Amino acid sequence: MAAIGIRGLSKSFDGFQALSEFSLEVNQGEFLTLLGPSGCGKTTLLKIISGFLEPSTGTITIGGEDVTHVPPERRDTALCFQSYALFPHLTVLQNLEFGLKQKRVSRDQREVRISEVAAKLELETQLEKLPNQLSGGQQQRVSLGRALVMRPSVILFDEPLSNLDAKLRDQVRVEISRIQRDYSLTAIYVTHDQSEALAMSDRIVVLNGGKIVQVDTPEDLYSKPRTPFVADFIGGANLISGRVSSQTEKGPIIIETSMGPIKTSHLVKDNVDNVELSWRPERAKIGEGPHCGTIVHRAFQGQFTDLILEQNDIIFRIRTNNDKLRVGEVINFSLSPDDVVVLEVDK
Amino acid sequence: MTYERLNSLLITMVVTVAFIWLAIPFTMAVLWSLVDPAEPWTADKLLPPVMSFYRWVDMWENSSLRYALISSYTLAPSAALLGLCLALPTAFALGRFDFPGREFAKLLCLLPLVVPPFITAIFFSALLFQLGLNTWRFGAIVFAHSILFLPYAIRILTVSFETVRQDHIDAARDLGASAWARFRVAYLPALKPGISATLLIVFIQSIEEFAIAFIIGSPDIVTIPTLLYSALGQDFVRPNAAVLSLILVVPNVFLMLILERLMRSANPTLSSGKG
Repeated sequence: MAAIGIRGLSKSFDGFQALSEFSLEVNQGEFLTLLGPSGCGKTTLLKIISGFLEPSTGTITIGGEDVTHVPPERRDTALCFQSYALFPHLTVLQNLEFGLKQKRVSRDQREVRISEVAAKLELETQLEKLPNQLSGGQQQRVSLGRALVMRPSVILFDEPLSNLDAKLRDQVRVEISRIQRDYSLTAIYVTHDQSEALAMSDRIVVLNGGKIVQVDTPEDLYSKPRTPFVADFIGGANLISGRVSSQTEKGPIIIETSMGPIKTSHLVKDNVDNVELSWRPERAKIGEGPHCGTIVHRAFQGQFTDLILEQNDIIFRIRTNNDKLRVGEVINFSLSPDDVVVLEVDK
Repeated sequence: MTYERLNSLLITMVVTVAFIWLAIPFTMAVLWSLVDPAEPWTADKLLPPVMSFYRWVDMWENSSLRYALISSYTLAPSAALLGLCLALPTAFALGRFDFPGREFAKLLCLLPLVVPPFITAIFFSALLFQLGLNTWRFGAIVFAHSILFLPYAIRILTVSFETVRQDHIDAARDLGASAWARFRVAYLPALKPGISATLLIVFIQSIEEFAIAFIIGSPDIVTIPTLLYSALGQDFVRPNAAVLSLILVVPNVFLMLILERLMRSANPTLSSGKG
């Protein structure tokens, strides 16, 4: 049985449609990420799941029970806030204890749960401190701990890493993943950061304009984006439109584009002439090949170099390990037909 | 001009101004209160020729000072508490809800402060008489004072309510807190300095308020300011007035110092958050 069931959910604010006809099932123990640009409806959805907003239409079930109209204080969900939202006048221990006291958990049980979580999150030495005496990463851990001691059936994360610096972000990211696995928690994680989503999730839901664009595993989402939006939003793929010039039963399909003919091994639906193609910047093999371009911009990134190329007024990006290439050079490259994905055109 | 020179100049100016406005009147009040009736303090003498506590003892024993002290110090805390209770709902609405015209409503709340107090007092007392609230004079003054100083209370508490963080309220709710528990954990810590400040400001204002206390209260209720008025306005006994002024002013100075400490004391709700 699905841990969370969302059926036909819509939400509008003063005529603005934040979510429309949204349906999704989250499995028990799954780490599901809601990914999308700001304003795509992901935070609205999280607020509806946690109970802070009521949907205009549709239902939500948690563990099979309809909770659409249950207020947040009586929902079996725990939310990790972007701002941590720790109570500043309470010590770490009192912060961790707060929810348990509200639920009238016995003193013994409280001690057991808190010491377990504090050990897991390495907070034992911080328990008597006030939140403002802790670093950002520690505060985030307390916030996570405060949610964990509640042993919720669903844990919700609202961009929990966005206030941390890059190094700490990686560290806390690993920690959240580890905890989620250890407790086999059902987690819903909201972010606009695609690398976070790819690194942590079992499945990713890509949202745009209040609608689901694609739901897939990180690997499939990356290698088989279905729409130009997904291809571009995740990993910044190169997009190019073209016409199907030959389609045979066997062998790759040839698409005529302004970059010249491109081969793809992915199927094109029957009766479709104009298609949109996507290929990843790091999949181009520089050297021999049918395609070429002039380097117009170069950005050395350490472990790789980003090149912006131009050909026939088409701009595209190639990512390479070769740091010897310079602006102005003309390079040839090839694309494997497997790496060229045929996209559905956005409606 | 160097920074040090400017600095010392400014300090000299501050000290001078403080001396003219505070030290001189205060010293004069102390000196006048100590003038012994045996020998008057005439203009040709720098200090009173004979000094004693005669005036203090006399005021304490032979005037309504004791009664005035009791009524003033009962009126003021009552008005402060009532004012706080009356201001809380409005401040909550102004500080927590987004509605069209909110900024205008805030401004409107402050508007009564520009009307001269005597005018407000006259018309407010007329209103009280019309409502038939004048029979219990003490209650009428408490009510009038709390209403009169409501703009301060609303303004201070609105700012306090604005500092309450929505994510704290949401976090408490998410953790299963009832409305009362949410108030205690998310609102109260942020409101505390504002509540103390409101109580103190209304208290001090009420202690010093003359117009309403005089128009509604006299002759039944004597407060320190109305007593002071009779000492100055009717009898014009300057030493007695000096005694009363000091009784009025000294506690207020201490209260103001407390208020200053409260406003300055670090509010942990504001300094927390992102690390």
